[in-house]
Amino acid sequence: MIARLQQLGRRGCDGLETLGRAGVFLALSSFGVPSREGWHLWLRQMHFVGVLSLAIVLVSGLFIGMVLALQGYTILVDFGAEQALGQMVALSLLRELSPVVAALLFAGRAGSALTAEIGLMKATEQLTSMEMIGVDPLRRVVAPRLWAGFVALPLLTVGFSVVGIVGGYLVGVEWLGVFDGSYWANMQASVDFLDDVVNGMVKSLVFALVVTWIAVFQGYDLIPTSEGISRATTRTVVYSSLVVLGLDFVLTAMMFGGLS
Amino acid sequence: MSDSPLVVVKDLHFSRGEMEIFRGVDLCIPRGKITAVMGPSGTGKTTLLKLIGGQLVPDAGQVLIDGADVHALSRKALFALRRRMGMLFQSGALFSDLDVYENVAFPLRVHTNLPEAMIRDVALMKLEAVGLRGARKLMPAELSGGMARRVALARAIALDPELILYDEPFVGQDPISMGVLVQLIKRLNEALGLTAIVVSHDIKETLSIADYVYVIADGEVMAHGTPATLDVDDDPRVSQFVHGEPDGPVPFHYPAVDFLTDILAAGEGR
Amino acid sequence: MKRSKTMELGVGIFMLAGILGLVFLGLQVSGLTFSAPGDTFRLEANFANVGSLKPRARVTMAGVTVGRVTEIELDTEWYDARVVLELDAELEGQLPRDSTAAILTAGLLGEQYIGLSVGADPETLTHGDTIRDTQSAVVLEELIQQFVSNMATN
Repeated sequence: MIARLQQLGRRGCDGLETLGRAGVFLALSSFGVPSREGWHLWLRQMHFVGVLSLAIVLVSGLFIGMVLALQGYTILVDFGAEQALGQMVALSLLRELSPVVAALLFAGRAGSALTAEIGLMKATEQLTSMEMIGVDPLRRVVAPRLWAGFVALPLLTVGFSVVGIVGGYLVGVEWLGVFDGSYWANMQASVDFLDDVVNGMVKSLVFALVVTWIAVFQGYDLIPTSEGISRATTRTVVYSSLVVLGLDFVLTAMMFGGLS
Repeated sequence: MSDSPLVVVKDLHFSRGEMEIFRGVDLCIPRGKITAVMGPSGTGKTTLLKLIGGQLVPDAGQVLIDGADVHALSRKALFALRRRMGMLFQSGALFSDLDVYENVAFPLRVHTNLPEAMIRDVALMKLEAVGLRGARKLMPAELSGGMARRVALARAIALDPELILYDEPFVGQDPISMGVLVQLIKRLNEALGLTAIVVSHDIKETLSIADYVYVIADGEVMAHGTPATLDVDDDPRVSQFVHGEPDGPVPFHYPAVDFLTDILAAGEGR
Repeated sequence: MKRSKTMELGVGIFMLAGILGLVFLGLQVSGLTFSAPGDTFRLEANFANVGSLKPRARVTMAGVTVGRVTEIELDTEWYDARVVLELDAELEGQLPRDSTAAILTAGLLGEQYIGLSVGADPETLTHGDTIRDTQSAVVLEELIQQFVSNMATN
């Protein structure tokens, strides 16, 4: 019994220690000095985490918008309120689905790749050799990836929303025959730029920071063996998903839950 | 050039978790010479290089490079000191996203403001020195192990360091590239007056180029001297290592209970 | 070098697309308009009951949106609701003094908004004036009660 408690205590201490290391890690790497060189490194990572994630995010967005319209229509038509379809699709996308689903996809596509890439650099001693050459790998390797993720995910989220709303339009208006004007007019009447669009973007920025942070830290902190890399990659996806969903609840409560 | 040693390691203690890796190691690395640090696998030779490079912090003891205590330096001063050191890693550790030329040019780009033409000249000169000027467009993934290590050597000497650390330079090489590397290390040392520390357990090759040898075992310096004196050392442990005998004071068997008792105990579970 | 150029182009297009997407969300989805804030004027109206009217609700005339509600507060003098409206400046000096403001509902369950209808007074409303003639929100419970009591008397 006492041994169990002891083990629990040790786990807690280890967890806190890791959290502290992750905090110092974030602080040290986020102040990468912007330079011409740094700009190029950032651009390269933007390509890697942003442009290459675009396809999966947009396709998912299209399908989610279409499903929302289909499901929403069957419910709304019972109340004779199918003209509110645009409002339903837009609000659920902007407030919840876009930031959350885009962040989850991003964690799976870009986050795991970042962890594996940095982990591999660690395993092949590239990080150590960089340090021996006198270059801080936190600035050179981690910082560009961190900032690229921070910028890329909100942009991907915007793309997700736009494509989802268009998908809802295709299903609702073109297929199910909701009146075109009321789809947009109801949407415009109920969506508020500050409350809905901007709040969704704020969520997305928070998720971007957290997911990229987890990904690069897991890569930097892993045990440099093939087993260590595969475990860290899994951890990135699991932790990111849990943290995104948990934070989403907290942020939603703060933004829309009347706690203001 | 003064006669004082470039690197002095004083009473170094280091442990990883429960395991004690060094229990008071003293080394003295003279300028312009090749000093070998040898020992069986798992004696923490790579750890020693990381301690000298300031990547790990010892539990006790000091590492002095040119009189400066490596572990008392600020982060900035440490990075400045590292510009005067080159290190060759066991795996080569080339940056996988840059080609051979860019790998060699990397230290020049980050530490100097030289114009592009000059960087090109220096990088090609270093590549020529390791005989790989023709391979400059290749990516690290396209190189053989020996070539990768030579490119890494060219990168390590790009900034003309005073001190160069070799981590197991001969491991896993075919006889030809092993010979090439032995030649290169020797030549670089003679031509540039570099101080070199070679960590290795390849006895024949290492003894052929080293000026002075330290043998480390069980966390302590077991013996030291020139290759000639070590060859005739009386200590049975030293002679076992130097002559590569399979069993001796350093046992072949991992510590275990008596074989017969172990066999007979089979019925009672393991 | 060529590869890095196409990469730069890709990132550039990606970022541009993101910004355009945000503009789309602003204009087409949330219906933002870039009207200058100066060209409005304020009117007040007191209602006995505002129902579920919210700030930012529309103000319409003959079905056309002409402004929005900016404030709703309790008037402690009469204990009714004082609603501040912001209307297009071109209507200033055009609305007769006896115009009426009514709280209407869009559809059965829709949001509530204010409908203005024009009176016949030669004098007109200007900035800061109050609309006297108002019609409160219909409260569903009251309506049902009325209906039931009518049934009973019949």
